[in-house]
Amino acid sequence: MALEPTLILKDSTTFSDEISFSVTDSLTVAAPARGLSLETVTSTGGNHIIVPAGTAIAYLYVRHTGTTDGSTATAQLVDLEISDDNSAFARLGAGEFLFMPFNHAGASVGVQLQVAHASNVLCEYAYWTKG
Amino acid sequence: MATTTATLRLSSSDLQPGNTLSINATSTLMKAGLTTGLTQVESGVISLALETESRLGPLGTEISGGVHDIASWLYLCNKATDDTYYIDWGIHETNIGKLYAGDWMFIPWSASDDVAAIELEAQVAAQTIEYAFFNSNFILAADAGA
Repeated sequence: MALEPTLILKDSTTFSDEISFSVTDSLTVAAPARGLSLETVTSTGGNHIIVPAGTAIAYLYVRHTGTTDGSTATAQLVDLEISDDNSAFARLGAGEFLFMPFNHAGASVGVQLQVAHASNVLCEYAYWTKG
Repeated sequence: MATTTATLRLSSSDLQPGNTLSINATSTLMKAGLTTGLTQVESGVISLALETESRLGPLGTEISGGVHDIASWLYLCNKATDDTYYIDWGIHETNIGKLYAGDWMFIPWSASDDVAAIELEAQVAAQTIEYAFFNSNFILAADAGA
């Protein structure tokens, strides 16, 4: 199975030259995988493990929807954490997203989401295992 | 106002039975907690020596202000063409992932403490990466001889 990610970065107002580039890739992916999903994230990371513990490389997509429930706006930040020790490695604000390969030096750990303060944040996510 | 936009598209014709996967996400990159855009960029192509830990981008101490927990975005691409080559990447001494030949990633990053730097280490062979940092408040290190 193949997954094609494309990133486009543009900026025409900040510098004396325009930034405009795109990069794409063709990834061979396999099970286990989780298609596009929604999770209402709280301040208890252990309740929101979006990538279960495993030793394989997971291509991970996460987006902060900017809402608590799909309609009520929120600016609360969401941390991405390694599931075994709750250490945060990324933080998303409203409307922000990331795409990355996750693998904790081959250790059998996963990824969980946690809101930095007591609040709900609706997040969109998906992951695929490197084939 | 600085306006840097990032768009991610994920597509596949064979991952979901009966329909095509097509995810589109766009975000305007802002300063942390503000509605103003980022004002600095640093980009380039550099080589990584085999099994040598290298730092990419600033340390927390090189970001101005009392609080260096600023918004910063990193694009990183492994330009190697041999499928067995990869780069271990992490934050300080915490390994986060492996970036294989031809693969790329786009992540938010902030230096929550002085030693929280992006660290890279080429495995199997020396490799070349392409990168871009979008941020603000980054100051160049002082000349050691000054």
